Amino acid sequence: MNGIIFAVLFPFAAAVLCWFLFRNRKGKNDIAAVTMLLVSAVETAAVTVPLLKNITGTQFDMVTIAGVGGLGLHFMYSGFRGVFGVLTALAWFVTFLFSKEYMAGDEKVVRYDFFNLLTLGATMGIFYAADFFTLFFFFEMMSFTSFMWVAHRQTKESAYAAGTYLGIAIAGGMAILMGLFIVYSRIGTLYFGKVCWETVSLISVGADPTWLYVAAVCMFAGFGAKAGAFPVHVWLPDSYTQAPAPATALLSAVLSKTGVFGLMLVSLELLPLQGSWGVFLLVIGVITMAAGGIRGVMSCNFKTTLAFSSMSQIGFVLTGVGMQVLLAEMAAGFYGDTERFEEAVGVFGMAVNGTFIHMVNHALVKLVLFMTAGIVLAQAGGYELNKVRGFGRKKPFLLVTFLLAAAGVGGIPILNGYISKTLLHESIVEYTSLMGDAAALTGFMKAVEGLFLFSGGLTVAYMTKLFVALFVEKNTDSALQRKYEEQKQYASVFTKAAIGLCALPIPFIGLLPELTAERVAAYGFVRSDVEAWYYKHVNVHYFSPKSLFGAVISIGVGAAVYYLVVRLWMLRRKDEGYQEVFPAWFNMEKYLYRAVFYTALPFVLGIISRILDSIVDIFVVLLRRTVYCDRALPYELPEGNRVTHRIGCTLERMRMIYCVIARKEYEPKHYEHRLAIKSTDFFENFRIIERSLSFGLFMFCVGLGLTMIYLLMVN
Amino acid sequence: MNYMILLPVVLPVIVGFVLLFLHEGVFRDRKTLLKVTGVSFVVSAALAVYAISGAAGDRLILFRLVDNIPVYFAIDDLGRLFAGIVVAVFLLAGFFSFGYMSHEKNEKRYYSFYLITFGVLMGLCFSGNLVTLYLFYELMTLASMPLVIHNGSKEAVMAALKYMFYSFCGAYMALFGIYFLYKYAGAPDPLRSFGGMWDYAELMGFVPGGSLDMAAVAESGNTTLCLTAVFLMLVGFGVKAGCFPLHAWLPTAHPVAPAPASAFLSGIIVKGGILAVIRTVYYCVGTDFLRGTWVQTVWCILAVITLLMGSSLAFKEKILKKRLAYSTVSNLSYILLGLSMMNAAAFTGSLLHVVFHALIKSGLFLFAGALIFGTGRVKVKEFAGLGKKMPVLFWSYTICSLGLIGIPPTSGIISKWYLAAGCLESGIAGLSWIGPVALLVSALLTAGYLLPLAVNGFLKAPLDEKELDKYREPAPCMLVPVVVLAAATLLLGVFPTPLMEFVGGIAAALK
Repeated sequence: MNGIIFAVLFPFAAAVLCWFLFRNRKGKNDIAAVTMLLVSAVETAAVTVPLLKNITGTQFDMVTIAGVGGLGLHFMYSGFRGVFGVLTALAWFVTFLFSKEYMAGDEKVVRYDFFNLLTLGATMGIFYAADFFTLFFFFEMMSFTSFMWVAHRQTKESAYAAGTYLGIAIAGGMAILMGLFIVYSRIGTLYFGKVCWETVSLISVGADPTWLYVAAVCMFAGFGAKAGAFPVHVWLPDSYTQAPAPATALLSAVLSKTGVFGLMLVSLELLPLQGSWGVFLLVIGVITMAAGGIRGVMSCNFKTTLAFSSMSQIGFVLTGVGMQVLLAEMAAGFYGDTERFEEAVGVFGMAVNGTFIHMVNHALVKLVLFMTAGIVLAQAGGYELNKVRGFGRKKPFLLVTFLLAAAGVGGIPILNGYISKTLLHESIVEYTSLMGDAAALTGFMKAVEGLFLFSGGLTVAYMTKLFVALFVEKNTDSALQRKYEEQKQYASVFTKAAIGLCALPIPFIGLLPELTAERVAAYGFVRSDVEAWYYKHVNVHYFSPKSLFGAVISIGVGAAVYYLVVRLWMLRRKDEGYQEVFPAWFNMEKYLYRAVFYTALPFVLGIISRILDSIVDIFVVLLRRTVYCDRALPYELPEGNRVTHRIGCTLERMRMIYCVIARKEYEPKHYEHRLAIKSTDFFENFRIIERSLSFGLFMFCVGLGLTMIYLLMVN
Repeated sequence: MNYMILLPVVLPVIVGFVLLFLHEGVFRDRKTLLKVTGVSFVVSAALAVYAISGAAGDRLILFRLVDNIPVYFAIDDLGRLFAGIVVAVFLLAGFFSFGYMSHEKNEKRYYSFYLITFGVLMGLCFSGNLVTLYLFYELMTLASMPLVIHNGSKEAVMAALKYMFYSFCGAYMALFGIYFLYKYAGAPDPLRSFGGMWDYAELMGFVPGGSLDMAAVAESGNTTLCLTAVFLMLVGFGVKAGCFPLHAWLPTAHPVAPAPASAFLSGIIVKGGILAVIRTVYYCVGTDFLRGTWVQTVWCILAVITLLMGSSLAFKEKILKKRLAYSTVSNLSYILLGLSMMNAAAFTGSLLHVVFHALIKSGLFLFAGALIFGTGRVKVKEFAGLGKKMPVLFWSYTICSLGLIGIPPTSGIISKWYLAAGCLESGIAGLSWIGPVALLVSALLTAGYLLPLAVNGFLKAPLDEKELDKYREPAPCMLVPVVVLAAATLLLGVFPTPLMEFVGGIAAALK
């Protein structure tokens, strides 16, 4: 199994090598691009070989690189990992194909390629990880290397987006680490499979699972952030918009899947058979898909719409993961009752397949769409819908691929998204019916189903918006429209090949699901030590009226939303084209996360720390002012005494203040000097008197008088 | 007797003094001075390595202060670990200073005190009982003070005075504890004495697991007083390790020193405090005596407070060297937190962090020195855009920063992992999970105060484009140490096994 270690380490080595080879070669981007293609081709071969040998992965042992990072790195192979490994390598291959033209004029292409390859290696590490530590290890690496994608353009906006991306990535990484600490200290192992075994046996003896939930929520914060789940999705729209198009395609197609992969492992390894975790994921998933869909419909930026679309589709996937958990719990509850058990297992299989196929579908579709966005940017110079309006007219290749992808993700029958959405929808419906009417969750599940269909409608709506804007409408600026229509050489063969390769499987999956999607989805269960035994229980008729009905509802909702929001609201002023209708103040990233974590918290912590920091210093200063007071040396007054000095100074100052207040010119009156002279006079006179005979006689008289008064009073 | 042990301690001190009192005119020019100093650095380091390798023997009684208290050297694994880091950072920072000190006055004085400090530190690492340790601890303060005061400005003088004041306050607290503990320092053990040459050598000597006679303490009924004495020692030695409440000298004193001296102070000398704490708790008093007492709880709380405080102050600080100094405060408390947990995992984590932090923080300070030397700027914001001109330097900085935050595959993650695992294992109510949370919050703040410099350095536009052409990579003698330290950060993260086994051996011996 050294193939896997090779697949993980090869991109790192290639990255370093390419860095040294191409570092100083300005303007030779072609050679670099071809090298990248070669590297990714080798990588694809490296991950495809084990897949072809044995897709289930049952015969593979764990492989280890001892010592790295303290605990050592462990890799394993299973069907799920194999499929996603190949998908990852292929995604990199097509984006490199695409970048050949797209990045040709970029000065920093070597840097971009370097970080791109590092990210590829890290992503491989994530998908082949055999324990949580390895997962975390590569997840952190991936977060940091992919940061350079977002920051690549080095504009003010991209710096802002990259700041948010990095902040969330680091915070998420720390949260994952906290989760790992808890798991490791409680269970003592981090290996997939063993963790599940340990938690099941702990819970079966009645242990309190609260700490497991704490760990799981911590990890959710990290993995969910990368996936783009609400409420840690805030980095997503800006970062997706700012990154170069091929990087955005990878962010959306592959990197978001690593987050989902992590969440699946958390759900199925750490919290097996915990229904409340399933409900939690379901709630998160539903909020994510609805929120993403709503923002997607209301955006008037081509790429931002796609970004929110990614978020929304991840919501669908998360809903599927939540359903897996709920159905696993239900099946376990039915254990013993063979008929219901098998039924539940079949539905569970639907959820697993739906999740898996939707992940694959979304990856394909988003590769096509974001690469199209790249072409749009390169040719039209912007993403604003008003600017790119009419860009796609008379470009048949773009029209076909875009339509396939947009309709595919929108869930139009005979295309791929319909298959996965039907499976997910069926699993929700079947779960509700298996639960029985009396169950507490019935109302909740009905709401989930409704929102699921509604979000499907939103997908249709925003994809229609993009399609109409790009291919149907004409630009208000007719000169620009003419320029658009005359562009024949808008993309090179390589670029078209990249897009075409990704668009090709879309109709096949949609038309022949039993031959394509289901075959692959048989390995969609992420838990390694379980073979696809549920496979034979899955029984879905994709093109039955019942299944089609769901799609029809979604399409109906989509048409209504499109008409109401886009046609009536966004286009309410005829001349000004599309208008942003989402309120700008409702920005969680800017007014909640940044305000709290970048401003408020450091401020509060800073004040507390500053006080703590200076406690002893203040104490020392106090001591020096009081007990160890260094008093100024007493000095001889040149004239007068202390009393005259004080009074004189005070008077002088009062006069000075008076002058300032009354705005008079201040002239020193030398009160102190005058007083001193007065007092000297006084004391000298007194001394003369004191020493005279008359003073003696006077004092004698006073004495006599006092004696007389005393005698009078006594008598 | 193994008098060879004395060599790495005494020789640098002698050379240092000779250098100090030689007339300036002896050295014809700067080059001669550098040659002489360079040779003495290498010879001192070689002698130290010789002693660390064990070839010089492992015990030496130098002389007796009184009958029962010898000045006594013993080389054990813990001492070897600390001495090894000291040698590594000493050499790197030393060669860095050949480049950096060219624009400072009184170079000769700087090198002589640098050598003296090195000799004293070797003595500290090799000391075999508390009294010897205390002796070298005080000497360390005295010898390193001239490094702080070096540039002679009013700020530097005030900082040095503050440094002295705090250090002596701490040392006297520790001294009180030593006086008190002496009474219970354990009966002489005939089995442990060797060769029949001495009777009371191990009184206050370092025995893995502690040499305190707990029965005697319990009998005397002075347990509370004894705990107080130990606590005072912890706080006292903690001063050097920048532990709240007596940490305030550190962010004042470290930034005013010349950059290589800051690196040595922040990377190494503060570890002297850590070593003293380890020797006290794990080798004299013994963890059995402290576990579960108020001393442990208060110690934990102080460490948690310090590590959060240090990080948030670093986050708020604008001057690069001060920011790094606050970061030292925070990171030393990671180590103290681990030590306060008193179990093998946390102890391992602490020792690993001692190594990693020494390398990383020296690297960061040397980076700061190279930048200040090259540009004359001091504030973090002013370094924007310089990464294009100094890519190697900034890459090294980035790797060191990632190490300090604890991002794989750099080394910081390993120590953090063991520290957190140890905290959770300790089972102290509340603190066992507050500890890891504080570690992670602090790591987050660390990212907040270190990464912007790297990101802005590479990606942001510089403050003024015209000036940019003036700047280029620093001279090799300044660049190489930073690169070596960054490489060590990365390599120790990827191949930590030998180090972990060594540290694990030390931790296992404590049981």
